Amino acid sequence: MEVEKGKTAKYLKEKHEIPKQVTEHLKYFTKTKKMLLNALREEDKTIPQLAEELGLPAQEVMFQLMSLLKYGFVETGEMDDMDEYFYYKLKSNGKNKS
Amino acid sequence: MNMQEPRKTLEYDVLVIGGGIAGGESAINLANLGYKVLLVEKDLSIGGKMILLSKVFPTLDCAACITTPKVSEIARHPNITIFTGTETRKITKKGEHRFEVDILQKPRYVHIEDCTGCQLCEEACPVSVTDEYQYGLVGRKAAFIPFSIASPRVAAIDIENCTLCGACERVCPTNCIDFTMTEEEFLVKVKAIVVATGFNLFDPLKIPRYGYGKFRNVLTSMQMERQLAPTRPFNTVLRPGDGKLPDNIAYVLCTGSRDKSVGNPICSQICCMYSIKQAQLLMGALPMADITIYYLHIRAFGKGFNEFYVQAQDMGVEFVKGKVGKITEKENGNLILRYEDVEAGTVQEAEHDMVVLSVGVLPNLGISDVFENEKLELDPFNFINQSDMLASPAKTSIEGVFVAGTASGPMDIPDSILSGGAASAETTSYLRRESL
Repeated sequence: MEVEKGKTAKYLKEKHEIPKQVTEHLKYFTKTKKMLLNALREEDKTIPQLAEELGLPAQEVMFQLMSLLKYGFVETGEMDDMDEYFYYKLKSNGKNKS
Repeated sequence: MNMQEPRKTLEYDVLVIGGGIAGGESAINLANLGYKVLLVEKDLSIGGKMILLSKVFPTLDCAACITTPKVSEIARHPNITIFTGTETRKITKKGEHRFEVDILQKPRYVHIEDCTGCQLCEEACPVSVTDEYQYGLVGRKAAFIPFSIASPRVAAIDIENCTLCGACERVCPTNCIDFTMTEEEFLVKVKAIVVATGFNLFDPLKIPRYGYGKFRNVLTSMQMERQLAPTRPFNTVLRPGDGKLPDNIAYVLCTGSRDKSVGNPICSQICCMYSIKQAQLLMGALPMADITIYYLHIRAFGKGFNEFYVQAQDMGVEFVKGKVGKITEKENGNLILRYEDVEAGTVQEAEHDMVVLSVGVLPNLGISDVFENEKLELDPFNFINQSDMLASPAKTSIEGVFVAGTASGPMDIPDSILSGGAASAETTSYLRRESL
């Protein structure tokens, strides 16, 4: 079999069915990512503020937002007045414009 | 498995099973003596659990700074061949100094030798799943480098969660991603074997009354270890429940150790000291925080350990001799610990905003099942039995098979390294006997 380098995913696609939960998980991540980035476009926010605004559990916002921080979409800002929560903001490297 | 190709046969002097700190120590000593070593590791990186730790007790040296030079020495040694993502399937003893081992290498979907670790695939991958190397605190991509100090520091594809969109290979500058890779089986002929399969951490889901998995601000000590490491998931120590900076943290010692009700009656030997270490690190990271350690007995038996314990007390860590019965959660995510105050003889309640469960050490089961015609005996707690513990601590029930590190029982890092050294010395002595 002649394999075309850089385009090998199609060979496995023929043999391997993508489980439904994998595509559903991807949809969920893409959706929450969009929601979080949109919410931060207006102003910097803390995790409880984002959770309240988006109607998501705070732990879910924490997990997804920390993932977006790791992937380079978001960065940590100042602390709130009570010294309890950090504000998070869009990273100014152009990535968040997507 | 590709059935068309016959499996390859490889020959080495010694097979070391497990690439943690004990297996690594054995491999390096044997390689320095001129023996050809095959090191097989089931994970994507060598370095075991130690490479993921923050600092070590009682010196507070950086764990990564000790592990990474060692790991790179192992990786670059001309006498050591490393197979990651590889399982040992079957071991047959054919005679003295003659073992045949079936190993199975799972496809990484990345050609290790071509990957530069540029992370462009990671950036392109649209999938985000739970990062097991950060113990579930944050996400990772399906095309990913396991962690920044991994060895080899190259990408892997998590095929279970991959959508096969091909974005990773389109951006890969070296074309090292290859979805046509399949499992590979090898027959390995060796003269001796070192088993260094390490340990498992106790899963606190088995104690539902502590609320782990239900209350997000109840963490395991390994999750706290990640939060304190330089390659941590968050910018500082934060509550996973809502991102709050914690200021009142409790430790529950002996979670899953010295507890017959969960099937592990023995002491894990490391929990007291790593909790005291984390408490000291937390006092540095969060100067305003109160740290309380709920303990049954503090076992500070090693060199410098008691002084380390006293140092924590002097720094202001509160030690409460008490057995925690139950943890409940308040609406604000704070946790109520109901405990027996052993000294006062009363039942008390205390509120904390984060609870760390100091989870114990359990045997990593399975390796004894792969021996075909000889029995690798286990001790009453299912660790590998040391058949002559005082005279030859690395000896097992099979002549030519030696044990290193926590595969033989709970122990700390210096003892694991000593044990790895002992295993390499006893292996050498066994190999030398062949030529006599």
